[in-house]
Amino acid sequence: MPATLSNAKTPSLPRRDFLTLAWKSLLAISGALSFAGMLRFLSHEPYPSPVTKFDLGLADDFPPGTVARIPEASAIVLHGEQGLVAYSLVCPHLGCTVESQKDGFECPCHGSRFDAQGSLVRGPASQGLRILKLEVDQAGHLILDTAA
Amino acid sequence: MRPSFFHHLHPPTIPASQSRFRYTLGAGGYSVFLTLVLLVSGALLMFYYVPTPAEAGPSIQMITFLVPFGALVRNLHYWSAQILVVVAAIHMLRVIFTGAYNSPRRFNYLLGLSLFVLALFLDFTGYVLRWDEGVRWALVAGTNLVDSIPWIGPGLYRLVMGASQPGPAALTRFYTWHIFGLVVLLLGVGVWHIFRVRRDGGIAVPPPEQRSTPQRISRFELVRREGLAALIGTAVLLLVSAFIPAPLAPPMSEVTSQAADSSAPWFFLWVQQLLKSGDAFWMGVFVPLVVLAVLGAIPYLLPAVKPDELGRWFPRSGRPAQVLALILVLAVLGLTLAAALAPPA
Repeated sequence: MPATLSNAKTPSLPRRDFLTLAWKSLLAISGALSFAGMLRFLSHEPYPSPVTKFDLGLADDFPPGTVARIPEASAIVLHGEQGLVAYSLVCPHLGCTVESQKDGFECPCHGSRFDAQGSLVRGPASQGLRILKLEVDQAGHLILDTAA
Repeated sequence: MRPSFFHHLHPPTIPASQSRFRYTLGAGGYSVFLTLVLLVSGALLMFYYVPTPAEAGPSIQMITFLVPFGALVRNLHYWSAQILVVVAAIHMLRVIFTGAYNSPRRFNYLLGLSLFVLALFLDFTGYVLRWDEGVRWALVAGTNLVDSIPWIGPGLYRLVMGASQPGPAALTRFYTWHIFGLVVLLLGVGVWHIFRVRRDGGIAVPPPEQRSTPQRISRFELVRREGLAALIGTAVLLLVSAFIPAPLAPPMSEVTSQAADSSAPWFFLWVQQLLKSGDAFWMGVFVPLVVLAVLGAIPYLLPAVKPDELGRWFPRSGRPAQVLALILVLAVLGLTLAAALAPPA
């Protein structure tokens, strides 16, 4: 660089460095924006969410002592001492459907065990089977909600 | 003769003792060979396979039972994919056990490791495309692992699945990744990997003055051996594919059926076994990532193999890496065996 120029007031950021920084930042920003745009593009869910409410028919059809499997909801409805209760049969560990055993449930994938009331007996799951919302509508039908 | 593109694939000559089968095991070459078989057979399958929940199962059955040579093409695709995982793993172990991962080859070692991960992803996405009762739980558990990642898990799950649970959107996305996204990545990184082998000085050998023999073979001899290996590979692959069919189960139903197979695909059995003993994220995501990180760190953190010990099996100065790799292999094999021998629930 000629000496005459270096005697001039040197800016803290020379023009060349500034331009380099500018185009690199622009490139980085457009890259980040494009990436974010692609993620947004992929975030659309093209099919309607699956049904989570199931009409199980008349509540009177579930007298005390009933143990009813609801395969389409991966759930089980019990009528015990505390009244009607519904459990999800989806294992809280990694989502396989648990299978009925003599004295409870066992997950075929990783071997978690639950007792007949859905409480955890043995891991790797860290909690019992999920209790599902169960209500009786005006027509006396039992409505199971797997989302709640 | 004016060199053509193909002349760039092989150097004019390579050291004789390092080009023997007993040194390379032909594993890198066989990985390329199997990838080519996979590309051709996969392209053929695309002419019939329909990636929708209703059509996936029936279209695979059509390929298997009605299309001329359909079963053979599908079996070739299946067996090439399974054997590729084994051959690529052998290639990686060969590189570790011969100390060929040192600088300047350590970046290429990482490229190779990422190719291995891509092959596993391709294998898993391809497996899911069957969309039958055999893949149900592997799909549910495998994708719920994504969901189990702290912070980003649920968002990532929705990006991967295109929905809140496995369904038609997931099948479309797995299909797209399997036939395009992952394949483009595999080919790109694969070509880079092969290019870097030559750029890094070819196969790892001691410096010229320390070689036991100065003998070299020409590229014609190399191509002759590769041709022979490909011929043997083709024969074995055809034989296996002609007699052992790829798995097929009843199409996936809306409701859980008893036909569902609760086993992970064989190359993830060790992860399934880990998951039996603990939390989904720690056992299913964290530990496998640690295994990957340990493998990737070998050329960067462990002492370099001495140059005069290169080009042969089990160099003394590479002991730490050899022991580490052996421990990992035994652990993965042990877990796999334990999962495979576990009595069905």
